[in-house]
Amino acid sequence: MAGRISLAHGEGGELTHQLIQEVFIQSFGHGEQARLDAAVIPCFSGKMAVTTDSYVVDPLFFPGGNIGKLAVTGTVNDLAVTGAVPKVLTAGFMIEEGFPVSDLKKIVKSMAAEAETAGVSIIAGDTKVVERGSVDGIFINTTGIGAIGEKDLNPAAVKKGDAVIITGTIGDHGIAILSARQQLGLLTDIKSDCASLNTLLNQLIQQTEGIRVMRDLTRGGLATGLVELCEDFSISIELNETSIPVHEEVEGACEILGFDPLYLANEGKAVIIVDSKEADKVLQLLHSHEFGKNATLIGLVASISEKAGKLKLKTPVNTTRRLTRLSGMLLPRIC
Amino acid sequence: MPCALKITVTGRVQGVGFRPFIYSLAHKYNLKGTVQNNLDGLLIHVEGDKNSLKDLADEVRHSPPRLAKVDNITIQEAAPSGHDEFMIVPSENKGEAVPWLPADAAVCDLCTAEMNDPADRRYNFPFINCTQCGPRYTIIQGLPYDRPLTAMKGFPMCLSCKEEYEDPGNRRHHAQPVCCPACGPKLTLLNYTGHRLSENSNAIRQTIDFLKKGKIAAIKGVGGYHLACDPFQASAVDRLRQLKRRPQRPLAVMVKSVDAAREFCSLTKNEEQLLSRPETPIVILRRKEGCSLPDILSPGLSTLGVMLPYTPLHHLLLSGELPCLVMTSANTSGLPIFYRDDCQSDLNNLCDYLLTHNRPIERPVDDSVVQWDGEEIIYLRRARGYVPDPLTSKLNVNNILALGGDQKNTFAIGKEHYIFLSPHIGEVENEEMIHSLEDTLCHYKNWLKGEPECIAFDKHPLYETSALAKKLPGIKVPVQHHHAHHVSCMEDNSLMEPCLGIILDGTGYGEDGHIWGFEFLYGNAESVERLGHLSYTPLPGGDKAVREPWRTAAGMLLHYWPEEGRKLAADLFPEETVNLDVISRMVTNGINSPFAGTCGRLFDAVSAILGICTIATYEGEAAIKLADVIEGTALTAHEKEPYPFRVIATQDHGHLLDFSPMIYEIIQEKRQGVAARKIICRFHETIVSSCVQTILSVMAERPELNRTVVLSGGSFQNNYLRKEVKRQLRKKGFTVYTHQQIPIHDGGLSLGQLTIAAHVLKSLSHRKRGEKRCV
Ligand SMILES: [Fe+3]
Ligand SMILES: [Mg+2]
Ligand SMILES: [Zn+2]
Ligand SMILES: [Zn+2]
Repeated sequence: MAGRISLAHGEGGELTHQLIQEVFIQSFGHGEQARLDAAVIPCFSGKMAVTTDSYVVDPLFFPGGNIGKLAVTGTVNDLAVTGAVPKVLTAGFMIEEGFPVSDLKKIVKSMAAEAETAGVSIIAGDTKVVERGSVDGIFINTTGIGAIGEKDLNPAAVKKGDAVIITGTIGDHGIAILSARQQLGLLTDIKSDCASLNTLLNQLIQQTEGIRVMRDLTRGGLATGLVELCEDFSISIELNETSIPVHEEVEGACEILGFDPLYLANEGKAVIIVDSKEADKVLQLLHSHEFGKNATLIGLVASISEKAGKLKLKTPVNTTRRLTRLSGMLLPRIC
Repeated sequence: MPCALKITVTGRVQGVGFRPFIYSLAHKYNLKGTVQNNLDGLLIHVEGDKNSLKDLADEVRHSPPRLAKVDNITIQEAAPSGHDEFMIVPSENKGEAVPWLPADAAVCDLCTAEMNDPADRRYNFPFINCTQCGPRYTIIQGLPYDRPLTAMKGFPMCLSCKEEYEDPGNRRHHAQPVCCPACGPKLTLLNYTGHRLSENSNAIRQTIDFLKKGKIAAIKGVGGYHLACDPFQASAVDRLRQLKRRPQRPLAVMVKSVDAAREFCSLTKNEEQLLSRPETPIVILRRKEGCSLPDILSPGLSTLGVMLPYTPLHHLLLSGELPCLVMTSANTSGLPIFYRDDCQSDLNNLCDYLLTHNRPIERPVDDSVVQWDGEEIIYLRRARGYVPDPLTSKLNVNNILALGGDQKNTFAIGKEHYIFLSPHIGEVENEEMIHSLEDTLCHYKNWLKGEPECIAFDKHPLYETSALAKKLPGIKVPVQHHHAHHVSCMEDNSLMEPCLGIILDGTGYGEDGHIWGFEFLYGNAESVERLGHLSYTPLPGGDKAVREPWRTAAGMLLHYWPEEGRKLAADLFPEETVNLDVISRMVTNGINSPFAGTCGRLFDAVSAILGICTIATYEGEAAIKLADVIEGTALTAHEKEPYPFRVIATQDHGHLLDFSPMIYEIIQEKRQGVAARKIICRFHETIVSSCVQTILSVMAERPELNRTVVLSGGSFQNNYLRKEVKRQLRKKGFTVYTHQQIPIHDGGLSLGQLTIAAHVLKSLSHRKRGEKRCV
């Protein structure tokens, strides 16, 4: 097989066949489904959750992961925070003409590995090759389907005083990406937090009571994620800035760059709103897991409002900052 | 045959003793009739001998009471109605015009004398006041200004006070806060756990003792609590700074008299007068050589903020034992001043003792800050004593609200032809400050009876004030920051015709998405044209660069000299060597490095290059400390020699100023060991020359433009810049205006925004009328 992807790889002929056989089928291991035009899966009883997301990242390979791993964890996490057990994924690839086949293989392999870790199978896919310059290397879209079990989240029960918990440090992915771009010469070896949280979060749902809602944090950071949650569920949250866990190196990088860690991207963190009575138990469970070892209680639900909720932050100097979505101004797109 | 006159006086005429004044005049000239307050102002009907009527009218015109600010007097002949006495008739809550609110005033000499007289029934009474003095704005709940609508409603007058209050010949006639030890508020001293220690005279005695021991006391004043300590005890001042989280920003002192002020600072006649005005602002004075007050009151500065006692309580506290006190607003940095009694538990974290009383403060207001620049008064903070006096406008500005900007915020509300500028609110950057703004706004709306129909605000997309504007109902008028500054200065001087403007400012959002602040404009409220500006350089770290001037300097060096800049910066800021790698890549790759061309940042950069201030702990610190070096001293001919700079003619923006040759030479001179003072003088002179030269090249190309120039923007708080630009432009035949009644910095933005909105509304209604005509 050639070293680089050519337009012919996307024409649906022999080269396409070769590419699918050698790169995708081998990695994803779907011999069975490949013979049909669509994947056939068993029907889950009860409710199902479906989500889709497209992944674009510069650089494609970064400390702690690559675009392939990200395409799995991102979709898996979207399912997990909805309270679903992720079952299957589909993957669509848009590849730039000239893209190294070895890189494609690496990406696909790490997708397969991450899918295995997360306990999902990648059951269908699609590949397009586009002219040079039409995409930046490779874009991946994944769609995920999950099953919602007996125990579900209960956003309607959210009440004043509920605990807001984050599963770990914020901003790791954002800073890892920035430093991997090598535009900055940042002296940090921070890794992206990119991880599938489904096992961890599922365990929480199964073993505790009173989890209201969960949300995974991606671009826009903790602040944007929580602002959306506040608005979606008409609740106001007050965070305590001093208790928000930030990796020392992320803090150092923010210090020099003038960035706010609250707005930096994450790829393996979720916020959990839970009955305050269960907060300790949730924290305990999180702490026993690798992806939750830095979990912290960072704030409380301050009120339930009729109108759109607000996100506020108590600062170390005792002022209150109203947090809004990432404005996008002056900030580069970091993921 | 008796004649009669109907005299209407408008302006600040209520709550200032105008009625008893008229009453005694009527008696003096043996005239009959009535005097009455209503919403229109003061209404006088007098009848009697023709010459006596004229005498009375003359006195009203030429020697009104000390607190009155007469806006207009109309005198009409009237038919005599046969009064047989002169009467003060009760206030009438009728009339169409603008409600006038009285401002707070320092205790007057007569009251002070009574307070010091052991024979007087108000001896040592900390709440003594009369029609000529006392709290006003801060105790008013609603209009008309009458006792039941003030914080005094909970203190029924005793018989003696009632007698004075009702006696038209008495100095306390209708003085709403009148009271005495028998019926007035009580002082209480608490410790920080809320335990009561003492009351009234004992409380004062004990407070003095604690202050002498180096303790910190919170003292309830007119518009909020102060934190006080003995300025001579450095450890107390240091602790106060820690509690307030205010490491460097100057702290004001209160001294017992003008003579005491003279011990520490050099004073001109004008400064003496400013200190002792009824507004009793903090006056920025020059410290005397060898001033015994410790430097930590105003680190790195040769000036000191000084004020005189303005409440009777201040007079009782400041004595021979304690001639001088640090008096700073009770709040931590970034939060509004404490004024509510239900906040005492928060206050307790800031002090050892709390000297308080039971007369509520209805409206918080900070101390005003002014400076005499040798020619005129500069308003640095317009608050207690000056608000809520309105400004008058030639336009109808009814029901327009302008929200100002996020820094040094004030808002403005228009009512008919009057503009009410709010007191200084501060930096609107957190929920507490936003709430403070909304709360003040709510009270102004109630007083002025009307929901604004049009909201003007800054174009900055991330300003809290812009977000607030968008939430309010009504027509929205976004205004570019420097257009607002330009028009603010025009309106402050009643100018309407297009004129030139030089706006030297900190940071303002520009039409092109960059940060502006060194602007040459031409226009008026209707529109403005950008004729020139400072070339842009990156601010690595955005807001962070504003707080860390070395970044702005590094950004400039790396931008001007991509090759050499890195080394220049490393030499100047050796402690930042590690970070410079990242900073230089941020600049090269455009990461979080917005472009700015502002005078404030230019001052920051030079201040950092000279090592005067590389990291700022308060807004403007770098520029203020830089300017202080040459403040109040004459420059030699050598010091007046400008550095090289370029004025480049461009096609789109007219004139582009490039100071890179100046920056380069400053760095060379610093290396060669040239005295900082000389560099700073030449730097100032360069900015002045660049302004003059740019205006001259503009005029050379477009001689048809009006030769009138307005100067506005925060950097013009720099006395040398303001005075020299003015002087040199005048020499070239320009008419130059600066601000008269309001601050030159962002505190004046709301006035400009409001005026611009009034024009937008006018053209909207013209257009509507035009459309109708077409149909
Ligand atoms: Fe400004
Ligand atoms: Mg997603
Ligand atoms: Zn008095
Ligand atoms: Zn009394």
